[in-house]
Order: sequence, then structure tokens, then C-alpha cells
Amino acid sequence: MFTTLFFKEWREKALIFSFELSILAVLLGAQFFLQQKKDIREWLIYAVLLLFFPFAALILGAAGFESENRQEAWAYLFSRPVSRLVVWLAKLAALVSMFTVLWLIFLAAWAAFPAVRELASGPRVLLEYVAESGFPWWSVGLSAFLLIVAFSLSLLRARQFNLLFVALLLGLSSPAVAWGLIISKVGGFMAWLAPEKALRTLLISLVLMALAFVGASLLTLVRADHSQPRKQMRSFAVSFVPFLVLALAGTVATALFIPLPGHNFVSLVTSSGDNAVYATERGILAYDAAAGRIRWLAKTRSELYQLSSPANGRLAYSVLDIKSRRDVAQEVWTVGMDGRDRRLAVGRGSPGPWDPANTDIMGLMIRPDGRSIALLTRAASSRSKGALPALWTVNVDGTGLERLPLDALLADGTTENLWLFFMAWGRTANVLVILKRHSSQSGQTQFGLWAYDLDRRTLSKFEDGVLPASWRGSMSPREDRLAIKLSSGSNLGGPVTALAFFDLATMKRTALVEGTDLVLSRVQWDPAGERLLFQVKRPAPEGRADYANAVYSLAAGKVVAEEAFASSDREAWMIWTAWMPDGRSIVALDSDGRSLKVLSPELKETGRIALPARLKKPEDAATVGRQVLIVDGQTDSLWRLDLDTKRWKRVF
Amino acid sequence: MSELLRIKGLSKSFGRKAVLKDFDLTVESGRVYGLLGCNGEGKTTLARILMGVIPADGGDISYKGRRITFGQSAYKREFGYVPEDPFFFDDMTVRGLIDFNGRFYPKWDRKRAVADLERFALDPRARVGTLSRGQKLKLGLAVALAAAPEFLILDDPTSGLDVPTRQEFLRDVIRELAASGTTILFASHLVHELERIVERLLVLKGGRLILDEDFDKVKDEHQASLEDIFVRLVAGA
Repeated sequence: MFTTLFFKEWREKALIFSFELSILAVLLGAQFFLQQKKDIREWLIYAVLLLFFPFAALILGAAGFESENRQEAWAYLFSRPVSRLVVWLAKLAALVSMFTVLWLIFLAAWAAFPAVRELASGPRVLLEYVAESGFPWWSVGLSAFLLIVAFSLSLLRARQFNLLFVALLLGLSSPAVAWGLIISKVGGFMAWLAPEKALRTLLISLVLMALAFVGASLLTLVRADHSQPRKQMRSFAVSFVPFLVLALAGTVATALFIPLPGHNFVSLVTSSGDNAVYATERGILAYDAAAGRIRWLAKTRSELYQLSSPANGRLAYSVLDIKSRRDVAQEVWTVGMDGRDRRLAVGRGSPGPWDPANTDIMGLMIRPDGRSIALLTRAASSRSKGALPALWTVNVDGTGLERLPLDALLADGTTENLWLFFMAWGRTANVLVILKRHSSQSGQTQFGLWAYDLDRRTLSKFEDGVLPASWRGSMSPREDRLAIKLSSGSNLGGPVTALAFFDLATMKRTALVEGTDLVLSRVQWDPAGERLLFQVKRPAPEGRADYANAVYSLAAGKVVAEEAFASSDREAWMIWTAWMPDGRSIVALDSDGRSLKVLSPELKETGRIALPARLKKPEDAATVGRQVLIVDGQTDSLWRLDLDTKRWKRVF
Repeated sequence: MSELLRIKGLSKSFGRKAVLKDFDLTVESGRVYGLLGCNGEGKTTLARILMGVIPADGGDISYKGRRITFGQSAYKREFGYVPEDPFFFDDMTVRGLIDFNGRFYPKWDRKRAVADLERFALDPRARVGTLSRGQKLKLGLAVALAAAPEFLILDDPTSGLDVPTRQEFLRDVIRELAASGTTILFASHLVHELERIVERLLVLKGGRLILDEDFDKVKDEHQASLEDIFVRLVAGA
């Protein structure tokens, strides 16, 4: 029956289809007769994409139930032993197949002739969207949407001209309104920061709206009295409204909550004995070991933020506050680790020289007592090389905003490729440790550690050729020692000559492990701050390099345990380790990526727990209480293992 | 005779006008029912509801003991329908319409359809849009009969037919169908036509049946022509 109805539609619409085919042939054929007139050819391609296909789709769609309505044959058709759903599907399938044939012809021309390809990529500029593929999918989407809208409305027993007009109005205005909403108030930040997200949201919006039309059309067909046009129109409207509300809700939900593939992330910021803090594309969350679940500290709705490890129960972070494309400002907030007492420290309305519209926050750090914040900023208008950074301090309640001079640090004039990073804020001494990275005149990247004594207002370099031992975990738990690597190279992961630590009270350096070509990674203090766990690469016989986990004891003054675990960089990269909060054991992801090992401080395996099959790409182990947290890098989810029950649970 | 169709409490309104109100009817298989009613009394509405063309506002319909609802289509394979207004797809040819319908009915008798086209002098190559009203009615009849229906609904089918065809239709076609056991619901306002064929008489007025009686009994009781009986009934006599 479907086939019979399908071919009936083809026969009925053959004239319209032939007419559209002829116009397309003329427009495409002109490309070859007017080879010397590129301007005209370009306009003709624009005419095909912007006018022909949308209008062809509109006319095809409007012809959906046209013959039944014009010839009053609907009563005859509906009295046949065939369901209305099949009638509807056959009509739609026939129209879509005609529409597809038109596009296949264009696709053939597009694939065969580079000139058509080149010209067809032009109109994308109008949509402010540069697709990876040059094929004008936007025109396919727009015309398909118009086809659906017109087809859905064709059911109504309105005059064809009215129908075309309404379909055109709805078909063009709804994507325009959706686009307007998406790039303005609702999702301005998405359009600006991630145009592909805005476009995807628009496409999803169009699909949802098309479904709303389709749903209303189908419900009207199977439920309404076709002999009463007014009643039928009312039925369509009543059916359409809930679908439209769902479509709009879906659009907003897509815009707000569904991240782009590759744009979502779960990244461990810090973990202590009780909490682990993660940055995600949706905000900042803490895993509460006692409660066994996550707690949102802040929902930022923005991917651009800096975070500071919590200090004295408070976490500092920055977000973008976007009112419009031209009114963007960075803000710095603090929040208690219980998710309460959120306070704005810096933002619009901050006093003095702070320029909210022209300030990028490059780094922030909260003081160990949780009372003030240090900020590294740069003028937003001069992000390129040569822009000078600035250092600020401010109390968490927003008072006491002060810009601190960096003259000594900048005195050597090495502003080329200059970046500053906060490394530590001493607990005993009120000293900010800053890592300076810049390019030397010979083009080599250089690192140096600087100390800003905030009480004495002095800034001084205390070590050159020094790197933090790792970007996370270099500070000892008591925040009195900073683990570092001494390096002559330019790469953070490159060969180093020693693993050492600075005593932040005395600013004295103590070397721990020395060598000529050390590759050290994942350096972590134990919870007591007496031992350091790290990975080291040892040149092995037969030209292979073996990686080993090693434990250095400050009390013993030497490496007290070392255990080889991997023979390749790739394997080594998969190993993530973490001390358990009691300091009595270490957890380590195995190099096969399918199990978690429990090691003694002597690095002897005492247990092994299989990872759940759904955890595809384990990364970044953290420990809280008697629980282990693992990030799944494939699904950007967070998994928890209870070491007592050996049970896994996905917590985010 | 077994019950073929049962209608209970059927109602349908168009705007404020209630066309069918609490309409009840039981149809037994193998009988010829004559449905009489003045213009606008709901004969066509009833036929359309039975054929699933328009939904009823309320009430139940069951066919062979099974409830049928708006949107169901399988039961219509056993139904034949000749609508009052013969609107088909004008762009199709006569043969095209026959073939088109043939795909929907499992008992489709194409030979019968071709024979009926000849009998009604219809050119199979002619476009439906070029046919006169009478010819379209004949075409509708040919389609309905080729489906070999168990239940045939004729909605005022003879009003546009020429006299010889009408007489042939009433004399031969209907009798032949009745003899083969087909149940027929013949709606008409041309009262005298029913007199020759009807077995049970239904008279529709004010949205309800005011008469549902064997025709022989009605004739015996009233001792008058059907036309007189009908006039008396609708006049409230």
C-alpha cells in the first residue's frame, strides 16, 4: 500500500518536479556557458542555494495534500482501507525523495566541477560560519526545514497561496528567531566563544521545530475532522503548541547543558583527605567522601575560568560575565567548600584602576588563610606578545584591591612571550612564589622562580632554570615546601638535573635526586609531607627506556623504593598514581588501563581491583577518605571506587 | 441472521448543529437496508463515520463484534462505499483508479471491474477529471463492487445516474449482491427507488432513527406506498 501511495504521489507531483528540475538544470548549466563571467556564475550559485532550493522545497512541501484538498478527494482516499499514517508517510517519503534527487544533482555538479565547489562555499560567510566541509549543508538544512513546514501545513485546507505565504513566514522566521535568541541573551557566550556550538544549537532547534510541525501535522491528520477546516486548524494549533514548547525547551537545554564533543571535560583541580575538586564545562564540583556524592560549588556556564586550590575551606575561581558581545568582564569569586557563602571579589564595579572590560585573568591564588586572593592579569586588548602582566591582591570580600609593582621582574626587558604563573603562597611566610616563563634573545624558553614578599613588598628572583616538579601537587600538604625540578632545558617534561624542594620559610633549596638526564613526572607529596612519590625514566639496556615509580624519604635522605612499571612513553602516560589520605598505601592505574593497583609505600602490590567495563579511558586518580576517584577521559565522567566494598559507582 | 454491525449512542455535530444524536442501529448480515431521510438529516454523515472519513463525537461502533475506532483501516477491506459526491483523483485514468484501488482490497476482482467498466460504457483510458457526474458514479460503483465487499454502503448512488443505468443497477446489481449475501445500506432520498429492493426500512429524522422495521411489516401496517409512509413519518403523523 505504501508503494502504491508513494508512486501515486510521484505521478501527481511529476509536473512540479519536472519544472523544478528544469530550473535547476538551467541554473547549473549556466555555469558552463558563462565560464568567463565569474560574478554572474557566483550569483547564480547563490540563487541556487539561497533561493532555488528553499523555494523548491517550499513548493514541493505545499503540494503534499494539495491534490486531495483541491479535488476534494480526501474523503475518497480516507475511505480506503489504508491507515492515515501510511498515507502521510508515503506522501512525505515521495516529497523527500524528489527533494533528494534535486540535491543529488547539485551534489554531482559540486563534486565534479571545482568551480562550482569554490563558488558554493561563498554564502557560508553570510552565516558567519566556516564549515570544515565546503558542501553547503546549511542550504540543505534550511530547505529541508521549509519542506517539512510546508508539508505539515499543506494538510490544512487553506488556499495554496496562503499556505505558501504562511509556510515561508514560519519557515524563515523561526530559524531567524532561534538564531537571534541563541546569539543574544540566552546563548551569547556560546556564539561568541564557540560559534560551532551556536550553530549546532540552531540545527538542533530546527530539527526540534521541524518535529513540532511534523507531530502537529500527524496528530491533526489522524484525529481531526478534515471536513471542518476551522476545527482542523484549531486541532493543528492545539497539537502544535505543546510540541513547540518542547522544541523550545529542548533548544534552551541544548544550549545550556549539552556540551560539544571535545568541549566537555572533567579535570581534577585538587584533592585533600575529605574533598576532591573538579573543574567541568558546567562548573566546579566537589566530591564529598563522607556523603559519597558530588556537590556543585559553582555553576559557571562558561569554559573560561581559572581555579585556585581551596584554602581554609574557601575556593577562588574566575568566570566570564557576558551581557553582550561588547560587554564582557571577568569576575573573581570565592565560595566555601560546602557550596555556600559565594562572594564576588572582583568584577564590574571594582574600584580604582581595575578595568573589568579590558582585563584577562591569567592566574589566581587564594591565600592559605582564605582571606585574600592574588591575581595575575593582562590587558584583554593586548593578548599578543609584548603585553605586560600585572599582579593584584584583593580581600575575598572585594575590599583592599591593590596593584603590586612588578618592576623588578620586568626590569630585564624580556617581555617576549612572557608568562607568569602562581606556584605557591607560603603559609608561614607571606610569600607568593611566581614562575616566570619567557623567551630569551636566542629564542630559548627560560624559566625562573621569583618570590614576592607581601609583607616587605619586595620582589626577588631566587632561582633560574627551575621548574615546578609538577603543575599540581608540587606544594607540600603543610604548604611549607615546594617541590621543584632543576633544568637546563626548555621543556617542562624534558631532561632535568635534579629533583629538589624549596623551604618557603627560608627560601633554601634542598636537592633530593640528582642526575644528568632525569625524566621526572607526576611528583606527589605524601599526606605527611615527608615522602615524595614520582615517576622516573631510567635508560635501560638494549636501548629501551624503563619507567619506574620511586619514593623518596626526606627522613632517610634517599630513594627508599623503586619499581619499574612501563617500558614505553605511551604506557607510562597511562599510569596515574595517588597517595591514600592515610599515607599507608598508594593507588596506581595499571598500564593496561583495566585495573587499579594498591601499592604499599615500598611499592609492593598488595591488591588489584578491576575497572568497570564502562570506564573506557581511565585518567587522573585522586583519593578521598577510603575512596578512589578516576576520570573517564572518553565519556568525561567521574567514577568512584570504595576500597572497603570494592564497588564502583559513576558519580558524575 | 447474525449481527454484522452495531451502532450505539453515535453523535456528531457540525458547529452548533447536531446531525446525529444518540443514534442506535443494528445491522444483520445479508440484508438490504434502506435508509431514508430528508436532506441534511445525516445520511451522508453516518456513511462517512462508518467509512472512517470523519470522526464521530461520541458513541460506539462494532463490526462483527469488534469495536472499531476512528483511524482503524483493516475493517474497511470488507466495506464497499459509493459516496454521494464522486470526488476521485482527477488526474488518474479510469484504469489507473481501478489499479490503484486493487492494491487495497484482498478480494479484489479485476475481471469484474473491467466487465463493469464495459457494462457502464466507461473508457479505461479516459481521465477521471473528464467524466461526467453520472460516469463518476458508475466508476465508483465499479470500484466498490470489484472489492467484493461484505458490507456495501451506497450513499444516494442513483441520483446522478441516467434512467436505464439506474434501473439496471436497482434491478440487477443490487439483487445480485443481495442474493450473494452482501449486506447493503442504501441511503437515499429518492423513496420510490428503495421500494423495489429494500428489506428493512430505516428512517432518520432529528439525528435519530424514527423507524427501524422490516419493510413488509411497514407496508402491511400502513397499507400505502413507501413515499406516503415516509411523508407521514417525517411529518410526525
